[in-house]
Amino acid sequence: MKRRDFLKTSIVASAAVMGTSSVLSANETHQPNDRRKVSNMAFPEKRPLITYSDRPPLLESPRSTFARGITENDEFFVRWHLPDIPTHIDLDKFSIKINGMVKKELEVTVAELKNDFEQVEVTAVVQCGGNSRSAFTPTPGGVQWGSGAMGCAKWKGVRLSDLLERAGLQKGAHWIGFNGEEKAAYYKTPNFVRELELSELDDHVIVAYEMNGEDLPYLNGFPLRLIIPGYYSDSWVKMLSNITVTDKYKSLFFMDKAYRVPDNETEGETPDHLVKKTKPITHMNVKSVIGYPENGMKIYHNSHIVVRGVAFDGGHGIDKVYVSVDGGKSWDRAELKRENGRYAYTEFRYTYKPTKYGKLQFMAKAVNYLGDEQPFAKDIPWNRGGYKYNGIDEVTVEVI
Amino acid sequence: MKKIILIASLLTGSLFAQVKGDIEVPYISYQIKMGKGFDSVQANCLMCHSFGYILNQGPQSKLFWDKKIDKMVEEFKAPITKEDHKIIAEYLFKHYGNGKLK
Ligand code: HEC
Repeated sequence: MKRRDFLKTSIVASAAVMGTSSVLSANETHQPNDRRKVSNMAFPEKRPLITYSDRPPLLESPRSTFARGITENDEFFVRWHLPDIPTHIDLDKFSIKINGMVKKELEVTVAELKNDFEQVEVTAVVQCGGNSRSAFTPTPGGVQWGSGAMGCAKWKGVRLSDLLERAGLQKGAHWIGFNGEEKAAYYKTPNFVRELELSELDDHVIVAYEMNGEDLPYLNGFPLRLIIPGYYSDSWVKMLSNITVTDKYKSLFFMDKAYRVPDNETEGETPDHLVKKTKPITHMNVKSVIGYPENGMKIYHNSHIVVRGVAFDGGHGIDKVYVSVDGGKSWDRAELKRENGRYAYTEFRYTYKPTKYGKLQFMAKAVNYLGDEQPFAKDIPWNRGGYKYNGIDEVTVEVI
Repeated sequence: MKKIILIASLLTGSLFAQVKGDIEVPYISYQIKMGKGFDSVQANCLMCHSFGYILNQGPQSKLFWDKKIDKMVEEFKAPITKEDHKIIAEYLFKHYGNGKLK
């Protein structure tokens, strides 16, 4: 790749240079960093987003995107692990290979996927396991995301099970490895490969070529992406080009070390006592985020404000969302709009008339159909990777 | 619970096909601090990712930066010599440190 100076714009005011503030009390989980602003440069097919890195691209969606149940493609967050991403894909040549313990190896082009298989759609939230990582102290390993490493889209493609059926599984097939076109820059660095047990993969898992009625944006995994509704996005392999069926699990860095949490009741540990036994993060926990208003906004006294946000979980579905305006002492039900199924964002809406001047804080708390509810941030134990933060969201405005 | 999960659909073809030709990911010119040891940072830390990875960590302790370099070497196989490790850790702590040793 060649250096280009056409972008003289610096990103001083954007995410990369703004760290977590040091006034927070030690070791208590708090609200994720919400002070970062979108940068002044747009990446391909994107509007300017909160920008952490260009190589590999790391872009976060701003809070305003959580006021709507579907995230626009051009505002959808971007997260790659390795710097070497092809900058050109020839759709006539690109194919996905299915090999390993199959009866017949397959090589399927995008056109064949669209024409030779049943086409299906699912609306699902995709969230990085490290979303909101900046909420943890001390700083855990990884990118220090605010709340915007997530989005919800309508994905269209074909069932993974249909592809596997076409290839035919051999006896003893147990694991499936997924590999995309993202490559390490250094030959010894482990590549980003995901392995999942066959038993984890149901009919809802699809290989998608379309997102919200458009081709997948390049930076979201064009031309094909694995969609695993309910799972954190580390398993949603982008630019998916290879599916390998095996009988044994291969030991890989990104499987064995990254995207794991302590294998105990609270999934917590302390920096001085790291838990030995860990497990993959897999299913998402219940979470809600306020999209409007935003921190620091000014609201008129006696005006009608409509608080909007989104709630989701790993696929059980959102039962209730509550809003508090008194610091969590009392909670009021928000109205819900569940339009896109149990893997999608459920939109919530809460109308409020501020009658007192000064600071006003909204809190949002979701409860899923299992009865799991979001904890207060301070009650979320630390883990070394900073995964799975789902604290009650807070937004403070000023009534004038 | 609602059970609309997958809707089989007969339509193929997207409304918009977006990418035409190559994409070009813009380069960011990071506002990175100059100083002793910067050369080693440049030689050792930009092979696999941008400065953005370092900058977004915020100000951190000496131990944090030391361990971060260890992680690069052990887990991602970064070819960094002991000497460079020391120089880089000092640079990072000086310019992106929080004043605490650990
Ligand atoms: C051989 C490749 C390689 C080299 C060289 C390298 N890194 Fe990394 N680094 C990685 C990978 C891979 C990640 C994780 C990427 C991801 O998950 O997006 C990473 C992530 C990071 C992060 C994010 C925090 C974290 O824990 O993941 C920081 C900070 C970092 N590197 C600092 C450095 C510094 C400082 C140097 C130079 C001393 C360096 N890196 C050199 C491969 C490398």
